[in-house]
Amino acid sequence: MELNDANLQTLTEFLRKTLDPDPTVRRPAEKFLESVEGNQNYPLLLLTLLEKSQDNVIRVCAAVTFKNYIKRNWRIVEDEPNKISDPDRTAIKANIVNLMLSSPEQIQKQLSDAISIIGREDFPQKWPDLLTEMVTRFRSGDFHIINGVLRTAHSLFKRYRHEFKSNELWSEIKLVLDTFALPLTELFKATIELCHTHATDVNALKVLFSSLTLIAKLFYSLNFQDLPEFFEDNMETWMTNFHGLLTLDNKLLQTDLVSNAIQFLASVCERPHYKHLFEDQNTLTSICEKVIVPNMEFRSADEEAFEDNSEEYIRRDLEGSDIDTRRRAACDLVRGLCKFFEGPVTAIFSGYVNSMLAEYAKNPQENWKHKDAAIYLVTSLASKAQTQKHGITQANELVNLTEFFVNYILPDLKSPNGKSTPYSGMCFCCCCSQLPKEQLLQAIPLLISHLQAESTVEHTYAAHALERLFTMRGPNNTTLITPAEMAPFTEQLLNNLFKALAFPGSAENEYIMKAIMRSFSLLQDSIVPYIPTLIGQLTHKLLQVSKNPSKPHFNHYLFESLCLSVRITCKANPTTVSSFEEALFPVFTEILQNDVQEFLPYVFQVMSLLLEIHSNSIPASYMALFPHLLQPVLWERTGNIPPLVRLLQAYLEKGGATIANSAADKIPGLLGVFQKLIASKANDHQGFYLLNSIIEHMPPESITQYRKQIFILLFQRLQSSKTTKFIKSFLVFVNLYCVKYGAIALQEIFDSIQPKMFGMVLEKIVIPEVQKVSGTVEKKICAVGITKILTECPAMMDTEYTKLWTPLLQALIGLFELPEDDSIPDDEHFIDIEDTPGYQTAFSQLAFAGKKEHDPIGDAVGNPKILLAQSLHKLSTACPGRVPSMLSTSLNAEALQFLQGYLQAATVQLV
Amino acid sequence: LREKRITECVELRKAHKNENFLKRRNITLSSLPDEETLSPDYIPNDFLSYLRKLLSQERNPPLKEIIDAGLLCNFVSFLSMDDEPILQFEAAWALTNIASGTSWHTQQVVEHGAVPAFISLLSSPMLHISEQAVWALGNIAGDGATYRDVLIECSVIPALLARISPDTPVGYLRNLTWTLSNLCRNKNPFPPLSAVQQIAGIPHLEKEANILHLLDKDVLSDACWAVSYLSDGDNDRIEVVVKTGIVPRLVELMSHKELSVMTPALRSIGNIVSGSDLQTQVAIDAGVLNVLPTLMRHPKASVQKEAAWALSNIAAGPCKQIQQLITCGLLPPLVQLLRNGDFKTQREAVWAVTNFTSGATVAQVVQLVQSGALEAIINLLQVKDAKVILVILDSINNIFMVRATEKLSLLIEELGGLDRIEMLQNHDNEMVYQSAHNIIEKYFSDVSLNCMAQHDEFVFQSPDVQKAFEF
Repeated sequence: MELNDANLQTLTEFLRKTLDPDPTVRRPAEKFLESVEGNQNYPLLLLTLLEKSQDNVIRVCAAVTFKNYIKRNWRIVEDEPNKISDPDRTAIKANIVNLMLSSPEQIQKQLSDAISIIGREDFPQKWPDLLTEMVTRFRSGDFHIINGVLRTAHSLFKRYRHEFKSNELWSEIKLVLDTFALPLTELFKATIELCHTHATDVNALKVLFSSLTLIAKLFYSLNFQDLPEFFEDNMETWMTNFHGLLTLDNKLLQTDLVSNAIQFLASVCERPHYKHLFEDQNTLTSICEKVIVPNMEFRSADEEAFEDNSEEYIRRDLEGSDIDTRRRAACDLVRGLCKFFEGPVTAIFSGYVNSMLAEYAKNPQENWKHKDAAIYLVTSLASKAQTQKHGITQANELVNLTEFFVNYILPDLKSPNGKSTPYSGMCFCCCCSQLPKEQLLQAIPLLISHLQAESTVEHTYAAHALERLFTMRGPNNTTLITPAEMAPFTEQLLNNLFKALAFPGSAENEYIMKAIMRSFSLLQDSIVPYIPTLIGQLTHKLLQVSKNPSKPHFNHYLFESLCLSVRITCKANPTTVSSFEEALFPVFTEILQNDVQEFLPYVFQVMSLLLEIHSNSIPASYMALFPHLLQPVLWERTGNIPPLVRLLQAYLEKGGATIANSAADKIPGLLGVFQKLIASKANDHQGFYLLNSIIEHMPPESITQYRKQIFILLFQRLQSSKTTKFIKSFLVFVNLYCVKYGAIALQEIFDSIQPKMFGMVLEKIVIPEVQKVSGTVEKKICAVGITKILTECPAMMDTEYTKLWTPLLQALIGLFELPEDDSIPDDEHFIDIEDTPGYQTAFSQLAFAGKKEHDPIGDAVGNPKILLAQSLHKLSTACPGRVPSMLSTSLNAEALQFLQGYLQAATVQLV
Repeated sequence: LREKRITECVELRKAHKNENFLKRRNITLSSLPDEETLSPDYIPNDFLSYLRKLLSQERNPPLKEIIDAGLLCNFVSFLSMDDEPILQFEAAWALTNIASGTSWHTQQVVEHGAVPAFISLLSSPMLHISEQAVWALGNIAGDGATYRDVLIECSVIPALLARISPDTPVGYLRNLTWTLSNLCRNKNPFPPLSAVQQIAGIPHLEKEANILHLLDKDVLSDACWAVSYLSDGDNDRIEVVVKTGIVPRLVELMSHKELSVMTPALRSIGNIVSGSDLQTQVAIDAGVLNVLPTLMRHPKASVQKEAAWALSNIAAGPCKQIQQLITCGLLPPLVQLLRNGDFKTQREAVWAVTNFTSGATVAQVVQLVQSGALEAIINLLQVKDAKVILVILDSINNIFMVRATEKLSLLIEELGGLDRIEMLQNHDNEMVYQSAHNIIEKYFSDVSLNCMAQHDEFVFQSPDVQKAFEF
């Protein structure tokens, strides 16, 4: 790709298309850009465009594309090729600072981000002159440039606030301090001076204060790990000026500190140290009166959010992600105070609650805010301990919740009258697992009818309240509300939930979708009659959202609901699986064809679930898709790997023979996937899952020609970069191979690769490491495999391998009896991504697509210890005298004792 | 994981001015014959004593001026004049004070050949001359690892040890233990193992002069510092110290009323329990667990921190040692430190909890949780230090690994832990984020949240046959 006008022109066209709202135009353009980004000069073309294009939109678009390109490609990852050519890297680093500083703010921000991404990888070693280049700009006097430098420096240094202390990090900070601390201090002083000179010029002050804010951020980052010598020496300059800034009464600097202040009080009052500060009755009363009550009230800002952006309001209100709202802060303060002063605080507030309710009663239309605040107050008073799932788990005994519920909440639920009370009333029921069940059951039909309300806030709260109620646990760890109790309402509930999804503002309402999922999960079998309708509605929804996936939670719950439909229905009648396939496959095909990346992992999981339900054959519709699953591009995205591996495993389990017969030309592709996975330290266990399924389910003759190569690959990895995780998976595989193909086959294939290989693997890998294997199924596979090696492999009895016989037996007894060895070498601590891979993939993004653990040995071997005893007995009768003599010469006493135990349990004797 | 004392690393802070502690200047000598009677009418002698007095003045002694005047040659040559004891003494004193200056000053003294001269002076029959030599050598050893090893090369240790006898005066012994402690001091590199073996000779001293049983606090203090330097290293070094049988006495000294004795005794034991399980067991058998609770409640924060560090390393042991820790009542003071200690102490206490949870049995973890430790560490999740947060998350994860129950999840949520862990999913530190995320995914989520244009295919490529495999 050359740096010429034609290419600039093409790139401009495609960039413009990526902004097109129509996905059929946008997607191909994005694809095209992705396909050419590996070419040399691509980043330089983007930089040229963002600097020189006539069209401002294109300039910004090029800047964003450039930033994302850097983000995806700059880091050089182990096992993967360098994605940006070295000349491009050098050219970028040489120009980007200048370019950033001379660009308008919108572009500057993108480039500044890009610099910090590059800096994270290259600074300081591979980009030594970055800082000096930046520092010289401080003298420019142009605050647009200075702020650009400061912003970039901030994005480079802010990690000092959260990185672990290390020599490497501190050396870097020292280096930064050497070049940066003095100029920063000078700049700080000069900026303060300028603030004095321009004290009356609001516009100038705005710019200067934005610089000061950045300078303060930098100061914080540079001082975070420890107080550096330079700043200790210049403490006075900094502190005097900071003090001046803090006491400065300038309208420009005002921020809302109220909720932070309340939060501070809340955290202070819980500490025993400070308990005495609050003991005084007057203090308590005044905190309650002046701090808590006013902040509990629905504020006009809340009201605006409530009306304009109801979804955002709901999220803040429901999820406790509203830590910054005053209400939430006030609730926390109530809880904090109750820790030590439950009695007095409850007494003070009871008075307030009563008077607020009285105010409301005077004029319900006007004074609804009072009741709302009263409900809030009661909720926060009542809850000593609260969890999202179970609501209030420990209640304040001084507050009578039931009475409050019956007198003030139920009437509202029955006659919805506009504003906020029904909503906080609904919140109230979802918080109160302490309420008697009959009260909650009264609320359910009322909530179901609120689902029909047109107001987004109202039906959303209703859905949320129902969802919470369905999650509450009763005695015996079952759900509090049973399917039987729901029977009268089931149809209405399902109808109303799906109707609510049809309201204009709620087409992708995650609370409703979550309530759907929860209802399915609660109602179980009772939804079966409705499934034909429901599945149609769900697939229709899926088709709609797949055009432009934007709400991850909604989509997630949608797929969960699909999984639940499949599971519940097919549990009762597995043959119905085909009707699901009929409904879902067209949509899935579309998702696959349009490469809707967000959905692919979900689709693979649902397909696995469906395929696993089939009894023993694989339908042709799946086989048609098989070649597509082996496309490298799918395997490039890490999120696809676990679900794809699981899907391929399902293919192998149900259709090993079919693949061997009708798709034998795909076997090299399948093994190619294995080869790719095995090369990566992060994914090698996934490679083994696949390989194990191949060994277990493919007809042996179909893979005969590849077996030796498979082992050579594994040995190469073992030689070049073995990790504990790899060894564990390797051991399971070797033993599974032995169980499946026999000990002789294992020994022969090893020794055909290199003489004495079998002995070396036993001696260097199996015997010393088998203790590390974890997981019941994995251990069982190893136990049966090793038993076979010991008792069914002539080479172990009459070649030089004989000397390994007793150590191997000892290791096997150790596997049975000793605690698992979970030590890992020091240098490996940071390698393992998934610490203990199971024999089967534990990946379960979709909770309801979960998979049972698979045991390839199953009931064939009940107790491996007994199997060992019986096999040894058989061996000893075949060559009398040998076994006892090997045991007596070198098996240690403890192991021998265990072995005696096994023999007794199996009622056999060695001869 | 047992954690060794953190070795020297890059520092951002101003270098501490603690050279005084490593080197000392002789200003007045208490145990000296009267100066006047010593000085006959020998002019250089008077001049020399004048110089020595200059060097001993409280403020701004003219160290550099005297070096620049080229007088060091003369001083060093006086050292070997056995028939001029006064000259010897004055020169030794003057050189002691010059060597007490900066590294450069010390270097001048060494480069003028003072080391062998001082070592032979050690065997001087005149006690005060020998003592002055001890002092000078202490200053040279205190300069750093390089000169320390130069001295050790010159066999200074046997020469020093030879001066110890039951009737060595206390003042002399103080100087001698101080010099020995400087010979044990400094890392990068550590003193050679052979030297450690000779000096672990402190118990050897004990036999000779009962140093550790002496009641003089200065001698005890320096002796304990020496042991603390010797034991600050890998397990081989710890082993040398443990083998001498000194551990019970050190544990006893941890209760000494003088801070200057208790501190190094505690440091030494802290080092020893950072060793192997067996070495740690020796300290436990000597009763360290009975002493630690008092130290964990000591008014000085630095003592609390050191005690918590020691505890964290004991908690890293097998469950038998953890049981001893519980039986001796260490959990209540640990929880107290988690709640109220200063930050550095809390950090060690958090490590103690993590170590505990990684090796303990189910019953032991239950006791830990019941003691209030879980609540305390959850409260600490709001600190700024990313490492501490990660360590706490590890503890929580460990507790789940021991027994993941619905009840535990609920308890953590009730204690406000879930909120905090959820917030940590926004933490900027990748490992903190990952760890928080994993905990939420694994233990708190009922439902966890969270193109077909190309036609090329995977191919199974036969691996190149390479040189023989060797594992």
